[in-house]
Amino acid sequence: MKIFWLAVFAAAPVFAAECAPSKLGPQESLAKFQELDREAQAAMDRGQFAAAAARYREATCLAPKAARAFYGLGVAEAASGHYPAARQALEKAAALLPSSNLPLAMLVRVNVSAGDADKTKQALRAVARHFPKDGELHATLARFLAENKLLDLALAESLRAAQAGESGPEAAVALAVLENNVGAYEDAIRHAAALEGQPGLSDAVKASAAGVAGLSYESLGEREAAIQHLRLAIRLAPLAENSYLALADLYEKAQRFKEAAEVLEQARSRLPDTHNLLLPLGNNLIWAEQLQAGVEVLRELLRKAPDTSEAYLRLAEAYRKMGRTEQEVQVLRDLARRQPTYPMVHVLIAQAMLRTDPPDYPHVLEELAWAEKAAPADADLFYLRGKVYAGTNRYPEAVTALRRAIELRPMEPSYYYQLGLVYRKLGQSALARETLARMEYIKPVPNGPR
Amino acid sequence: MTRRSLLLLPGAAVLLGQAPRGGDPQNLSFPLEAIEGGITPPDLFFVRDHFSEPGLSLDSWKLRIEGRVRRPLELSLADLLEAPTRKLEAVLECAGNVAGGSAVSNGVWEGVPIAHLLDEAGTDREAEGVLLEGADTGRLMQNSPRLPYCQLVTMAKCRQPESMVAFKLNDRFLPRRNGFPARAFFPGWYGMDAVKWLTRIVVLGPGGAPNNFQASGMEQVYNRVTAEPGGQRKIVRLSEIQVKSAIAWPADKMKLPAGRHLVRGFAWTGGGPVRRVEVSTEGGRTWTAAQLAGIPKPLSWVAWRYSWNASPGDHVLMSRATDGAGRTQPLTRDPARKDGYELNFCLPVRCEVR
Repeated sequence: MKIFWLAVFAAAPVFAAECAPSKLGPQESLAKFQELDREAQAAMDRGQFAAAAARYREATCLAPKAARAFYGLGVAEAASGHYPAARQALEKAAALLPSSNLPLAMLVRVNVSAGDADKTKQALRAVARHFPKDGELHATLARFLAENKLLDLALAESLRAAQAGESGPEAAVALAVLENNVGAYEDAIRHAAALEGQPGLSDAVKASAAGVAGLSYESLGEREAAIQHLRLAIRLAPLAENSYLALADLYEKAQRFKEAAEVLEQARSRLPDTHNLLLPLGNNLIWAEQLQAGVEVLRELLRKAPDTSEAYLRLAEAYRKMGRTEQEVQVLRDLARRQPTYPMVHVLIAQAMLRTDPPDYPHVLEELAWAEKAAPADADLFYLRGKVYAGTNRYPEAVTALRRAIELRPMEPSYYYQLGLVYRKLGQSALARETLARMEYIKPVPNGPR
Repeated sequence: MTRRSLLLLPGAAVLLGQAPRGGDPQNLSFPLEAIEGGITPPDLFFVRDHFSEPGLSLDSWKLRIEGRVRRPLELSLADLLEAPTRKLEAVLECAGNVAGGSAVSNGVWEGVPIAHLLDEAGTDREAEGVLLEGADTGRLMQNSPRLPYCQLVTMAKCRQPESMVAFKLNDRFLPRRNGFPARAFFPGWYGMDAVKWLTRIVVLGPGGAPNNFQASGMEQVYNRVTAEPGGQRKIVRLSEIQVKSAIAWPADKMKLPAGRHLVRGFAWTGGGPVRRVEVSTEGGRTWTAAQLAGIPKPLSWVAWRYSWNASPGDHVLMSRATDGAGRTQPLTRDPARKDGYELNFCLPVRCEVR
């Protein structure tokens, strides 16, 4: 900030149109300027931004070539939410003191705060034009832009920082992360791998680098390299859950559910208070057929985060696999109670209820009535209704329901099968034959044209 | 919050499932049936390579603008990301896409208008066109030297506001195989000019000699060749996408149960918006208007559907589109055409209904 005290007090200042002419001499002007500056800063400290802006405006009248005054005015106007005025003042400060990067850096911040993408880019272009070699400035802007979720611009500034030789480990990790995010996987791996092996860096930085390398390798389809790097990330930073999640995700995608669950169990033992591990752990335990363990994990998750809809569905899947239909129905009812508009939840309940022996048909029909209210053109609900009617010997109603299901989804073979069976019960052999033949006709041919 | 979004930085998604690089040129397209809604997901975007995908590094990638300019430029990706950009939905079709074929995709493109870059470089008044060059190299013809993929585009087209150096597709950075980090894109024109992995734009004056273009043999392909009376052949460079539609469902030779079915597909053109789409279930004898999924926009495709009450028997489905310029898809290929491009005639889709 000291640099702004170098502001030039012109002997014959050119006053802005709104400035009243000053009769002060150069020494008096300087004293008055310093007083205004002090007052403005004090007002800023108190959060009185309009008052600060007024002081700075007065200072700009007194010293119209003082970059410090215009900079202060810009900051005060921005704090007051007067972005166009802030922009104007900062542009003036940048023009008055082109050797300082502060006004342009602040201009970027103001434009981001104003949500003006075009002007943000314009300011960044000005920064690039005037300070192409200022790696620290570009790295700082990159961090600021990333914090504000402007990832494209953050990448641009990270690239500029790297080009300017800014080689700090944090900047390098940030660049690798952004490169991975935009699909520049080889670049990300190159930058991250260089950090992984660099002596003197903290384990946390090396772990981040290993994590990025792992994700980039995964994106390139090089699974074993990805596993190796993510395992390294875990070794280096055993309390960072992201690496466990990434590695488990990788195993899960490869359908190596047992290994995914093991990684997440390891994470859970080290990070007992985190919730983020529970859903993937429960899922993978269930997919690895460790059903009871999966149920326990998901039950724990629902105690802590009862709106996790996926957990209800996975629990229902586990109970179904365990043959515990009543619990399956109950968990789905819990979901419906928590999230009444959850898609297809009543159809799921009805499906589960039809698996009980004997099914509670009146209640299944009730559920299907609810389902119809939510999604009146859902083919499955009519199919299930047809099955209920068939199960209760209400064959004509079953025909109506199943025909409606077929109308809504004509390429579903199971609907024809059910309808064919109902026609048979009705003694309508020709219709039954025709319907079952249609089912055979549209049944998918494995690996062949349809 | 998804698990993926917990990983590392917030926000940007990780592009997954990219094909490994450095292999043979890729030729990928995916059934139009797989596309839900109006936008083609990046992993279902068609790919037509001439040469192998180049290995590009963001550190070293540059786009040079040179030739008949006052200020030659060398732009980095950072320069593009911080330049004024334009975003628009537009279709991209391979000029050799067969009738009913799926070498066509529709996406939301974002990039820097080429006109802006040319203005920054200060093009000569006499400039008539540009040579666009990619980082991929190879032999286009058996006897041609190994050269970068390149195309010539008129200055008039480059100056149209929608012509761009694109770096994003559907709000993500271009996938590698679709031209990462940047490609040319000329909405309304066939895909050969949308040079992928773009590294050089050379502004050409009158009679400018684009050596690579001629030497590579590129001038011998992507031409409309028509047999004229008297045995002459008329050769015109391809440019604007012809009006076309395709049936996404049902597929050819599909077996359907009798009853109501929703025939669906897409229609597109380089000449203004699609005005209407019609469907025939009798091999083109009669036509009925299909329902368009919204108001058609210029340059992008429009999804359409037709509710068909299929009676038992053999049926031949066809769709045909008419565009804002009044052009309608032909029922058959023009016999005078001697090339394999602009195959926009109506493709019959045969269905057996029981």
